[in-house]
Amino acid sequence: MSETTTNPHGIAEGHPDQRPMIVLEGVSKTYPGQTIPAVAELDLAVPRGSIVMLVGPSGCGKTTTLKMMNRLIEPTTGRILLDGEDVTGVNADQLRRRIGYVIQQVGLFPHFTVGENIAVVPRMLGWDRQRIRQRVDELLELVGLHPREFRDRYPRQLSGGQQQRVGVARALAADPPVMLMDEPFGAIDPVTRERLHDEFLEIQRTVRKTICFVTHDLQEAIKLGDHIAIFTAGGRLAQYDTPEGILSRPANDFVAEFVGSGAAVRRLHLIALSTLDLDEIATGSSPTAAALVTVPLSGSVYDAVDAMLDAQTSVVAVVDDDGQAVGALRWNTLVEKLQLRGLHP
Amino acid sequence: MPGLITVSRRRKGMRSYADLLSTPLIVLLGGAAVALWVSTRTLDDIEARALQPSAILSDLGQHLILTAYSTLFVIVIAVPLGILLSRKGARRIRNVVLAVGGFAQALPPYGVLVLIAFAPAPFGFNPFSVIMGLVAAALLPVLRNTVVGLRQVDPALIEAARGMGMSGRATLFRVELPLAVPVMMAGIRVALVLNVGTAVLATFVGGGGLGSLIVRAQTLNRPIVLVTAGAIVAALALMVDWLAGVAERLVRARTS
Repeated sequence: MSETTTNPHGIAEGHPDQRPMIVLEGVSKTYPGQTIPAVAELDLAVPRGSIVMLVGPSGCGKTTTLKMMNRLIEPTTGRILLDGEDVTGVNADQLRRRIGYVIQQVGLFPHFTVGENIAVVPRMLGWDRQRIRQRVDELLELVGLHPREFRDRYPRQLSGGQQQRVGVARALAADPPVMLMDEPFGAIDPVTRERLHDEFLEIQRTVRKTICFVTHDLQEAIKLGDHIAIFTAGGRLAQYDTPEGILSRPANDFVAEFVGSGAAVRRLHLIALSTLDLDEIATGSSPTAAALVTVPLSGSVYDAVDAMLDAQTSVVAVVDDDGQAVGALRWNTLVEKLQLRGLHP
Repeated sequence: MPGLITVSRRRKGMRSYADLLSTPLIVLLGGAAVALWVSTRTLDDIEARALQPSAILSDLGQHLILTAYSTLFVIVIAVPLGILLSRKGARRIRNVVLAVGGFAQALPPYGVLVLIAFAPAPFGFNPFSVIMGLVAAALLPVLRNTVVGLRQVDPALIEAARGMGMSGRATLFRVELPLAVPVMMAGIRVALVLNVGTAVLATFVGGGGLGSLIVRAQTLNRPIVLVTAGAIVAALALMVDWLAGVAERLVRARTS
């Protein structure tokens, strides 16, 4: 993993399983009638089974880069390798059937039912009915929509969040190894988006796709990404690193400015509560565990601090999935621990 | 939520049944009134011959054939042309062609028919000329609605289709056209009604149709024949419009 981050190119050789799934080599795009390229001489390697977030201000070329991966936009120069195969010149329609694609506007066909929408790619690939039907139900189940209830509905009968779940299911339909997502949760309200993020990561744990994900929201990139590629205007890569690396070691002024002043707080998202040594909950003394504010063990230090500030308390109880308290986290000890880790709060 | 949707749709359905029934009802009542009036009059020989059912049916048949063929040709010409004009590459010529279509529609149909009739073969005083004249007059609504219908399809749907690996042709036939059909149907309905009306002029260039009945009534100077002929033309136009409206509604219900 760290190899791919420090040296995104020149790693195309090696064992097939370590070979990056997507490689861009010297890819540029200059739109007709323009002199300044939207993407310039880009080298990028996306490791197999990981989520790479393409982030940057508007007009930085992140969406152009994504759309060159499935050749909705044809690169002006350079090569695109998919699983080691040069796909720069292959039939674009056939290429796209091997790559899942999710867009912000979802783009569900209003005259198709949910089931028919999900079945589009399998039908083009000539699957038989029985197999398509099974796959549709399986995918609806995966994205948390009850097949019997949703399969025969039309998109207009769904909420925005449900529509985007179907959009994700449709992109996963033919089990493509690669998924490209263009601000898929951008038009969804913050509460639903938060939930979709968690579900998305949950789904990714089971499907292990190679995912490229465009967003302009750094928070989203930090939460979802295994790696983050930050673009600057003119389609240049400012930094390509893990979220941790982006936040703690910005490569240049542009990244530092883009990450902004809240970097230390954002980094709290990256520290899982399960990795901390928690205090014993003192029995008998007050406040008792029952009276404490609780945070789930699966959460991050950010959630814990948020809960403390919210309840105006300096101690929270950390509970496991069954609601059993596994320990307490105190403000003072937290700050000490973060100092030990070299992460000043 | 699903309950609410069904309720509102059922209410809408009831309202649409009411206005669906109004046209045939008016035609029926009007027809009955004219028939009643004719039956109370004693017809002389000339009137009786002019109002013979076989004569009227033959004119009606010719009229329907003219209308059907001209509308068919309009669809065959305007829909493919509209599809071509709706493509990105046709941006420049789109407005030129639509302007020519508008020009053709603005010409008085009677003048066009006469001009065509005097043109060299295969034009002349024959049904072919009539059909070509009707096609010219009714082309624009279908052409324009095809272009508009296709261009109002949400670009995100086209991007989604292409992004999933649908070919351009598959995207057109499976996504764009089905979603444009309601708008296209509205244009076809306009063309159909235009053709029913304009086909009355066919008789002046040897095309037959219900216009012949009207002309006969005028030369005979028999008001009872004239009123009957007028009533039949009006009833036909209303019923054709009604049928096209029903078809349009069915298509709309299926695609949206």
